[in-house]
Amino acid sequence: MRLNRRTLLAGATALAALPPPRIAGAQEFPARPIQGTIQWGAGGSTDAVTRAVAPIVEEKLGQKLVLTNRPGGTGVIGMQYVHGQRADGYNILFGAENPQLYGVLGLSDLSYKDFYPLVLLARGTPVLVARKDAPWADAKALIDHVLANPDTVKMGATGVGGLPFVVHAMLAAQVPGFKVTQVPFDGDGPALTALEGGHVDFMAAVWGAARERIRAGRIKALAVIANERLEGLDAAPITATLPGFAKYLPWGPFFGAFVKKETPEPIVAKLEKAFVEAANDPRFKEFCANFGVVPMGIGGKEAIAFLERWQSVTAWLLADAGAAKVDPATLGIKRL
Amino acid sequence: METALGYFLMSWLDPFLLLLVAVGTLAGIYIGAIPGLSVTMAVSILISFTYAWDTNEALALMVGIYMGGVYGGSRTAILLNIPGAPAAIATALDGYPLAKLGEAGRAIGVTTVVSFLGGFVGIAALALGAPLVAEISLMFAPRDYMLLGIMGLLLVASLAGESLVKGVVAGAIGMLISMIGLDTMSAQPRLTFGSSALLGGVSYVAVMIGMFGIAEALAQLHGYAAPAVKQKVDKIVPSLSTVLRHLPLTLRASAIGVWIGALPGAGGDIAALMAYDHAKRSVKKPSRPFGQGAYEGLVAPEAANNAAVGGAFIPMLTLGIPGDAVTAVIIAALFIHGLRPGPNLMVDTPHLFWFTVGNLTLANIFLLVFGLTGIRLFAKIVEVPKAILLPIVVVLSVVGAYAINNNPADVWWAVGFGIFGYVLKVYGYQLGPVVLGVILGPIVEANFRRTMIAVRESWAGFALELVSHPITLVLTIGILLSILRGTPLWPKLVGMLRGRAVDASR
Repeated sequence: MRLNRRTLLAGATALAALPPPRIAGAQEFPARPIQGTIQWGAGGSTDAVTRAVAPIVEEKLGQKLVLTNRPGGTGVIGMQYVHGQRADGYNILFGAENPQLYGVLGLSDLSYKDFYPLVLLARGTPVLVARKDAPWADAKALIDHVLANPDTVKMGATGVGGLPFVVHAMLAAQVPGFKVTQVPFDGDGPALTALEGGHVDFMAAVWGAARERIRAGRIKALAVIANERLEGLDAAPITATLPGFAKYLPWGPFFGAFVKKETPEPIVAKLEKAFVEAANDPRFKEFCANFGVVPMGIGGKEAIAFLERWQSVTAWLLADAGAAKVDPATLGIKRL
Repeated sequence: METALGYFLMSWLDPFLLLLVAVGTLAGIYIGAIPGLSVTMAVSILISFTYAWDTNEALALMVGIYMGGVYGGSRTAILLNIPGAPAAIATALDGYPLAKLGEAGRAIGVTTVVSFLGGFVGIAALALGAPLVAEISLMFAPRDYMLLGIMGLLLVASLAGESLVKGVVAGAIGMLISMIGLDTMSAQPRLTFGSSALLGGVSYVAVMIGMFGIAEALAQLHGYAAPAVKQKVDKIVPSLSTVLRHLPLTLRASAIGVWIGALPGAGGDIAALMAYDHAKRSVKKPSRPFGQGAYEGLVAPEAANNAAVGGAFIPMLTLGIPGDAVTAVIIAALFIHGLRPGPNLMVDTPHLFWFTVGNLTLANIFLLVFGLTGIRLFAKIVEVPKAILLPIVVVLSVVGAYAINNNPADVWWAVGFGIFGYVLKVYGYQLGPVVLGVILGPIVEANFRRTMIAVRESWAGFALELVSHPITLVLTIGILLSILRGTPLWPKLVGMLRGRAVDASR
């Protein structure tokens, strides 16, 4: 290449036409450690999933991820905290499914509409379980028993809007007259412990939490709340008994990483790439298999579609069960 | 048996594991001593930190931190009247008066030795009776947790001080505070006045820090110019006769600690309070009146909360059910390290049980060593002039309150309750019952509601529940007896029974 005044001039013009250094700065993102806020407490599923993926994300980003639990108000406190921070990509929310119900339960105006999903990490599959000496071997036997003895069967629950509550709403919608007594506990751990002690008769719980107890024969599985069987579990999918369930599925709790919606596009793109890669890393997938959750590893549009569908199914189930304080229609949640 | 011994000694013989347990215990003592910094949080942070480590190494460190942390809470409780952790609340009741009497060093010495002894009782229970204790702990139904909570609330009577009415009022205030926030059973916000900052409720650690730390600092402003109490720093290590004199109480308190610790719905904080109550009821001639520096009031909660560590591991290692918040985090850590905690944990990874027992034993020994060194230096903290010490107490309280959930609202709560607590103090109300109400209120309330829901809101059904199981029956009778003891009927009843006994012997 001949180097003369003209090419030099052209080069200088090209340089001047380059984006200003500010953007170059953005390309260096992340320049300092990133703050991760976990909306649930230490020792919970959200905490475990987040802490399992975080070291891999750090590798991909080449920057530290400082994790802090900010629990309270079914996650409202942590979500509000992140929402109150600058939209610069240095504050990431690690959340579960709960924000999608804040609106209908009247807890907060925030939902994942105000955030951008960097990645949905994993989702859990609910399993219908019963105490080990219960007289039912499958979902059909349970349903027949409940229909013959309304209100006498005790169901372990985790409160309004919790997983057992929603699965119960699905059952009640599919089986008219399905009436049980819901006894709420402080989470699926305590509820499963009560089931193991025989203080409640049945409940729905996420596979990962119930698996080891089923394997040891301390509780038994009646059905899988999914379209297909689960690997390592000898229980039929609920759709075999109640084909109408298919319209809700796949349904279950999920975990993801989010940034504020207003975060600049290049930063989002960089974070999304790192998070999706980390979520698809074999080490994280191995953790998921061990923890009993289904790895998702989807970001962007795909994730948004999942979030919307999940919200629509669940919010309307709550509304039909009479548990919604705010009509989903007024929140712009469409019925599927 | 030989393999069990081999697993037990794994950390004893591997210098690196040994070092990790030691470092963990030492770090735990200091994390436990700083209010607001909890062992739960420390272990949780370690999950990411030890991600790439070998499982055994991570566990050795975590167990050390746990053991040290439970003990560490007593330090600041005795020296500054700020319990470093909720499990040390009962410790402050007699520990701080001891520091005011110039016996902080001795108090720490006794605390260390009984914590060590209590720790061993917990470990022994874990090693020898784990499967049985775990099965019994599962039998506890919501009604039993409710009764246990009520039993704890009866402690208000012994914490009330001069007036029982004031004690009950203080306890009720505590229970009211505990109701603030989102009720997860119904998803209804309660007493939040539409503010989402109140949705998360008031952390009881913030209440504790405010009521003990800040309120005490404010109260001491009255006499800030008074010379600090000279601390006696001789005879730090308690003599054998002192230890032996307190041994029966230590063992009884440890048994309470193991039992409560093994229950999935109750941990070291409740164990310590129940043990304090037990000491107050059973020790007829304490070294000083309770609340004014009785060593018995120090021995019971400290033995109990360290015994609760071994207790909490019982359901965790045998069934995969956490006995408290820390074991819940350790379970999450095991998952991340590729293990599957659950009823089959001991089948899948047979070494884990005895390895953990070995680590706990080792940590307990390190606790004694680290605990007994440096006491002279620590005791001197109380001698610092109040003009310097009180601001430090306030700063520590504020930092601690923020550290609970990294939420500035907790700082405001701590300051607010500090001022409120000071006002209560001025009018002769004791603050112990308030904190008791905050801790036990939710247990009683939630389990009462669970029981009522389960019997479909029938009072007859509820009454029947209270006598429906041997465990429940024992708890019900225990509560009725301790209420009866407080009424004028009791002496008459005892008199009648005595009379009859005399009659029979004739």
